[in-house]
Amino acid sequence: MSNFVIVYYALLIAASCLAAYFKKREIFILVFTLTLVSFFMGIIGGQSALRFITTAAGLLAVAAGMSYAFREFLILITPEGVAKELRTAPLTAAFGMFVICTYAIAGIFAPIIAPFGEAQVISSAFAPADETMLLGADQLGRDMFSRIIYGARNTVGLALLATMLAFIMGALAGLLAATKGGWFDQFLGRFADVIMSIPSLIFALLMLSIFGTNLIVIVIVIAVIYSPRVFRLTRAVAGNVVVMDYIEAAKLRGEGTWYLIRKEILPNSTAPLIAEFGLEFCFVFLLIAGLSFLGLGVQPPTADWGSMVRENATLISFGELTPLIPAAAIALLTVAVNFVVDWMLFRSSGLKEM
Amino acid sequence: MGDILQLVLRRLGLGLITLFVVSILIFFAVELLPGDIAQAVLGQGATAETVAALREKLGLNDPAFIRYFHWLGGALTGDFGVSLVSGERVSDAISTRFRNTLFLATYAAVIAVPLSIFLGIIVALLRNTLFDRVANVLTLTSISSPEFFLGYILILYLAVKTNYFPAIASLSADMSFGDLLHRTFLPALTLVLVVTAHMMRMTRAAIINLLASPYIEMARLKGVPPWKVIVRHALPNAWAPIINVVALNLAYLITGVVLVEVVFVYPGIGQLLVDAVAKRDFPIVQACCLIFAATFILLNLAADVGSILTNPRLRHPK
Repeated sequence: MSNFVIVYYALLIAASCLAAYFKKREIFILVFTLTLVSFFMGIIGGQSALRFITTAAGLLAVAAGMSYAFREFLILITPEGVAKELRTAPLTAAFGMFVICTYAIAGIFAPIIAPFGEAQVISSAFAPADETMLLGADQLGRDMFSRIIYGARNTVGLALLATMLAFIMGALAGLLAATKGGWFDQFLGRFADVIMSIPSLIFALLMLSIFGTNLIVIVIVIAVIYSPRVFRLTRAVAGNVVVMDYIEAAKLRGEGTWYLIRKEILPNSTAPLIAEFGLEFCFVFLLIAGLSFLGLGVQPPTADWGSMVRENATLISFGELTPLIPAAAIALLTVAVNFVVDWMLFRSSGLKEM
Repeated sequence: MGDILQLVLRRLGLGLITLFVVSILIFFAVELLPGDIAQAVLGQGATAETVAALREKLGLNDPAFIRYFHWLGGALTGDFGVSLVSGERVSDAISTRFRNTLFLATYAAVIAVPLSIFLGIIVALLRNTLFDRVANVLTLTSISSPEFFLGYILILYLAVKTNYFPAIASLSADMSFGDLLHRTFLPALTLVLVVTAHMMRMTRAAIINLLASPYIEMARLKGVPPWKVIVRHALPNAWAPIINVVALNLAYLITGVVLVEVVFVYPGIGQLLVDAVAKRDFPIVQACCLIFAATFILLNLAADVGSILTNPRLRHPK
């Protein structure tokens, strides 16, 4: 029994006793479960497993503290109305917003943050990390850290562009279908059915094999693949608004279709559409990452998280973690967006059972 | 009974029409190529004679719709033409690989389906507890991670650092079944992680939706014990959503299988498709896309038919 193990268990047991004494039920259950899990893990994995649990718990605590501080910060700097909403945000949503903010900063200020250029060869292939290269070099001797920072700009930017295009196309078609109805509505509906009956990755592969892999093609193809989802949602939401009396009144006033969409329907269906935008972004982001990983998305030498994983995958067989960092960056952003979307859906639906 | 049959048949017919339209889309998408296939295969430096010769060989001089019916007829009998790159028959390249992919997907499904339904029901019963919240965050993380991330993490911890399983899922003909299961465990586990997370969340939502209905509350109020509420009252109505969830997620496996096969260098149809796309080998791309799309449509069809059969309310549409 080393000192570490004794201190570890003593702290956990003391914390659970304190929690029980002060009748903090949630904290007690959390800490005591952790103690029991540690007994179990300690017997199987020995001291290294306990260290792993400590690191994980520590990271979780830091993340929670950071999200809490970030939420307070947002509440202080935003005007009264927004701040009131933010106070109801759970910690997971605050964490999501914090991560999105970090990525945005990394993407916008990439040339300032990154010590080297994205395509600049500075050392030998797979050189280990030192004080100038935080994460070592990749398969061509480029700085891994700089490429990850630039990846935030390229990968996320491309996904945002594709999502926006998909959203504009889908939402416009959905709004038109809801206001016009008739054969136009029918035609768009069947068209959306056909596109959605092919798995998105397969459809993207088919299109890329035909048009080749350049960025404009990728953005357009992905926008076409994902616009039917937006179309369906917009049509459903707008369909509920169109039957309202004030729309009828506006029609009798002699307003045109475009006025109806812009001034009457859109303001009354923004909440679900914003949430859908977040979800859509996750799908698009994962699809682009998958395509790049397959070598069919963003082409070298542009830094991109998906292709970085594939290029450096050989390092994994030597037990290195660095190739997984870009993949983890993809996962983290997707989780963050999902957390925020969850909160928004919860707020707009007013559901207590989620 | 007659009207059930009629409903199912109508749904099957609709599925067939969708498949037909999708096959048209897959075939004519290639027609969108600037120039044509012969031009694209031979590249910029080709002389007019070689292009004309290849065009003759591929039968490109016929009108597109005649070639379409020729292709469709071939596809129905398992003949997808000849690969542009290797000259091999596409059906030969596909048949063993398709079996491998089916094996991998089945392997993953056999583990994932019972596991996720079981966990989904438990999470639904324990909703809003600590366990539920932890499960929520974990499944969300698993869904949000790209498949290759999960795959490489498994390789790193279960193959490289501990050597429990092989990192590369290469197959040979004379392997025993146990050996085969061991070799393909990591790719299957990756798929299981992704699909289980999806299925768990959907099962949880379906069950919670059900438990909120008034007749369950009535059963509880009249003093029926909790296990009986679940087994006698909730489960018969839960079959429809659960069957739906299972079929939809098996359809989801199809997309996941492509990335996982590439990560583990598994000799399946997904890897073939990716290679063919990079080489612009259109007959193979078309054949693989048609197979994937057909499986996807079939599973969605199964979901619909399953929910019609288990939910009497759907048999009487208004």
